[in-house]
Amino acid sequence: MARMYSDTDFYVAAPEPPESRRPPRTSVGWLGWLRHNLFSSALNSAITVVTAVLTILFAWEFLRWSMRSAQWGIVFNNLRLITSGQYDKGEIWRVELTAGILVFLIGLSMGLWGRITRTFSAVVLVILAFMLLIPLVGSQIPDPSVYHLIQPRKSPTDVIFLGYEGDKVTFTVDPLTDVADADQTFAGYQESASRTDWSTRAREVKDNVGKVDDPAMKPENYNLALTLRLLEESGAVLEHDGHPTELILAAGKGGTLSLTLPDDGWYVLEVVRDDEINDENLGFAWLKIDGVTVLSNLESDTKARDEKYGSPPKRERAILVQDKNYRFEGTRTLGEFVSVQVLPLVRRIVLPAVVGVVLFANAFLIGRLGKREKRLKRVSLAAWALSFPIILFILYGVSGSSVLPVVPTSVWGGLLLTILLTVVGIGASFPLGILLALGRRSHLPAVKWICTLFIEVLRGVPLITILFMAKLIVPFFWAPLSDLDLTVRMMIGLTLFTAAYLAENIRGGLQIVPQGQVEAARALGMSSVLITALIVLPQALRAVIPAIVGQFISLFKDTSLVALVGLFELAGIVDLIVSGSNVYRPYQREAYIFIAIIYFMISYGMSDISRRLETSGAGSIRRSM
Amino acid sequence: MAENQEPIIVCREVHKWFGNFHVLKGIDLTVYPQEVVVIIGPSGSGKSTFIRCINRLEEHQEGQIVVDGIELSHDIRNIAAIRSEIGMVFQQFNLFPHLTVMQNVTLAPRYVRHQPRHVSEETAMQLLVRVGIPEQARKYPGQLSGGQQQRVAIARALAMQPKIMLFDEPTSALDPEMIKEVLDVMRELAESGMTMLVVSHEMGFAREVADRIVFFDEGRIVEMGTPEHFFENPQHERTKLFLSQIL
Repeated sequence: MARMYSDTDFYVAAPEPPESRRPPRTSVGWLGWLRHNLFSSALNSAITVVTAVLTILFAWEFLRWSMRSAQWGIVFNNLRLITSGQYDKGEIWRVELTAGILVFLIGLSMGLWGRITRTFSAVVLVILAFMLLIPLVGSQIPDPSVYHLIQPRKSPTDVIFLGYEGDKVTFTVDPLTDVADADQTFAGYQESASRTDWSTRAREVKDNVGKVDDPAMKPENYNLALTLRLLEESGAVLEHDGHPTELILAAGKGGTLSLTLPDDGWYVLEVVRDDEINDENLGFAWLKIDGVTVLSNLESDTKARDEKYGSPPKRERAILVQDKNYRFEGTRTLGEFVSVQVLPLVRRIVLPAVVGVVLFANAFLIGRLGKREKRLKRVSLAAWALSFPIILFILYGVSGSSVLPVVPTSVWGGLLLTILLTVVGIGASFPLGILLALGRRSHLPAVKWICTLFIEVLRGVPLITILFMAKLIVPFFWAPLSDLDLTVRMMIGLTLFTAAYLAENIRGGLQIVPQGQVEAARALGMSSVLITALIVLPQALRAVIPAIVGQFISLFKDTSLVALVGLFELAGIVDLIVSGSNVYRPYQREAYIFIAIIYFMISYGMSDISRRLETSGAGSIRRSM
Repeated sequence: MAENQEPIIVCREVHKWFGNFHVLKGIDLTVYPQEVVVIIGPSGSGKSTFIRCINRLEEHQEGQIVVDGIELSHDIRNIAAIRSEIGMVFQQFNLFPHLTVMQNVTLAPRYVRHQPRHVSEETAMQLLVRVGIPEQARKYPGQLSGGQQQRVAIARALAMQPKIMLFDEPTSALDPEMIKEVLDVMRELAESGMTMLVVSHEMGFAREVADRIVFFDEGRIVEMGTPEHFFENPQHERTKLFLSQIL
């Protein structure tokens, strides 16, 4: 059958190709991105919606908890411990100097080699602006109320506070005359200095009021006769409009004492109970104090205050209104969150943060300006190499020196120790891992077997076992090792463990370098050392950057295991804080969330660097060979 | 060609085995300076293995290979000396993907010959001009076409100022449009007087440029002669069969 060709079956195109057009609007831009990626099918749309809803719900719940009920005091009251462990208090400047050196070098390197994304600088600026704004906002927010519990069979405590001229203060006695009164929840500062904190005692009252067969626990028996007196620092009763400032309550009655303070200075609120009628003065009462500032417990703040107003008056059975003795309980408003939870943290870190950012920015600028200078790059590499012994020297000190007295490594802790273990681990395990990987591929059987044995043994044993061996067993085998510092022994343990894993990762990289590369280099007359150093290793390492950095990240996280061996790095020190004091025990969640955030930020930074390394230089080009 | 010159490559009774497989069965070949020898033959005939023996990428087990008066042996110094006199170009280019074109070309002169950086870069630039791609010096191999990559590979080999160039199927991995640019460079190189040993299937190139053509089959040299002899008057039955199938 003859084919029936039409005119279009034979064709010659126009001499010029047609002009390129823009793609249809729905396939590009953010709309196109949404369509392609989030709503490409019914299933995809459903997944998108469900994920979004879950994410928002989780974020909302977390935010609500962290702002309304979490107690971040465990973090901001222990910042020194968290950052540098039990490092000598007076020598903390050495840790700060170390941090400064590192920030400067990081800034310089980023200026020289990297670039700062707009997102990064935006985040830094927002945080900085936030930190500078918070003190302003915080000072506008009225201070939350302070609550006391007045109990029978126990003399009431006096309250010492710092007042300022013109402050309006109010003292309210609220007798507990009804079971319902016990169930109130108060949002404000509550006493927490004593062995069991206020909230626990208040809960005891709530749980037992009206139920226990104790006349004092029956609200209807309330019969306290209280007298409140406001004293000046000298101990004299404050005169107010020619009358002494006092509130005398008849038995079983509540009341309010309110006044405007005449002067700046220390005041004492004296709470007196009529002790004569011993069996009659039954019952609990809440004492609420408004308009009084809860003082910061920070050493520098205390010092400045003492210089200005003198040290607080000494009295028996009195507590000072400062954040060591009081803790915020109950549900907070946003304003209270800012003034009670954010402000103290910001106050403690704003100075180092600003110094750090300024230092970083300067170093970055220097790096940026010297980007073309080969010499500056070399100098900064040398500075990195030198910084390490210098930092160790600064931190450890010299025996007998008065400027840099020795700080034994056993008290190094917190983030400092975590970073130190990580840096030493990375710096030592990387070359060792390369040697092991090359050794395992060696043609010499002895080298090959030793490397293989080393790698397989270390990979076959849990890290914690290796750390315990480094601590307990190794000194048995070789006496000089028992003199070796525990911290150093942990560094060695972590290094060997990581090196074994790295060796396997690097070996994987070595295997994918084609034989042709080696042949080409050999044909050029290169020696096998040159070939390994210049041709094989650079390609092998680049190919396994993600695996290597992954190993470094797990080393960073695994440093937390040294806590089990008796070193207090970041996780260990938090454990110590939590288990070491009753005050902080209820707030483990906050502390662990805080260090989780620190761990995450550093890990994320490391994997971000790895991604940049991967795509830098020849990595940005898809290799065709 | 000046037959009375001292030969630069002498191979006598070269044997090689891969395990039990006898790849080269007694190769005798003498190459003179400035000569272009094209080796052809079916795949598996041992022609690639043979030229890889000449710079010791493969080790022969019997016989003798003498390059520029130095005999190939286990002595590492001899091997290094010979390798620095022989340039080699591979079928798969084997450029170093992590280095720029410039770094690829200057690497060996800098680290093997210890040339100062500016000297090696100057030479490299001249070579890149010679192979026609000076503008690609800062790029990475992955950004170049196959033809450009192979020309870089030639420049890289020339940077060591070799006396002999070995080409192992230099155009087999290239698109038809790119074969010509590589052959042009090789033709120019041959005209400049380089001693060349070329394993190739490019019959046009062989006929035009070669001084002698060597036909390999089953690990031995079946026939060897001038292009005229080879293409117009082949003697051996195997040669005739091969030529009838590819022409």
